[in-house]
Amino acid sequence: MYRISIDQQLCSGFGSCAETAPAVFALDSSGTVTLLRPESDEENVVEAARSCPMGAIAVFDASSGDQVV
Amino acid sequence: MHDPTFWILARASGFTAYVLLALSVVAGIVLKSRPFGNRLKPATVTDTHRTLALLGLSALAIHAATLVLDTTIPLSVWALFVPGVSPYRPLWVSVGVLTAELMVIIYASFSLKKRIGVKNWRRLHWATYALFLGATVHGLMSGSDSSRTWALAIYLGAIGALTAAAGWRFLAPLTKGETYVPNLDRPAAL
Repeated sequence: MYRISIDQQLCSGFGSCAETAPAVFALDSSGTVTLLRPESDEENVVEAARSCPMGAIAVFDASSGDQVV
Repeated sequence: MHDPTFWILARASGFTAYVLLALSVVAGIVLKSRPFGNRLKPATVTDTHRTLALLGLSALAIHAATLVLDTTIPLSVWALFVPGVSPYRPLWVSVGVLTAELMVIIYASFSLKKRIGVKNWRRLHWATYALFLGATVHGLMSGSDSSRTWALAIYLGAIGALTAAAGWRFLAPLTKGETYVPNLDRPAAL
């Protein structure tokens, strides 16, 4: 299970996260990301975080608390 | 007898840095405008963009170091950092110096984007177009290989690739009935 954190200050609305993991990330009307679920066991959240050009997404292992991305 | 090793390395690394810079800018535009849709993973394009930029800076460092080490053109370390100091084609080498400094600033700004503010970082990223223009002018006007066919092919290939990518980035919205409105608060390429 992963815990996801978004730095809204950094989000620039590229949308790559919503494209990669649409069950977890979505773009709101202002063009910035909205977190649909704070935790997910989908592996693609890791790729979604890696795909963010701004490095605005952090993913943690929910059980250990270690940062994955 | 003059050993041409550093001179050859300086020219080769200059072209390498130029090509890597062009590819990095194109990758940045691809990341922003998604001309290939889902066929390219955003994470792959992001990694490619950053890696190409870092490799470009590495080639730039080799270009600068070998120019100082070579004796074909007497170039001091100062001439690498201060525009106008180079005795060889001072105007066009100065363009190269300023372009190189801008390249370092833009690359470093990624790590500093929270400190300088994301809006300022975005505005700064628009300067990548000026960066490419500066690198092209510097290479063409101060490069000793500029009259060679292969060198011109490299410049034309890079200009063509960047023009095509930027053309897509700015014109594609028009084909969907949208109007492109330049927004300096949005990143140009990354």
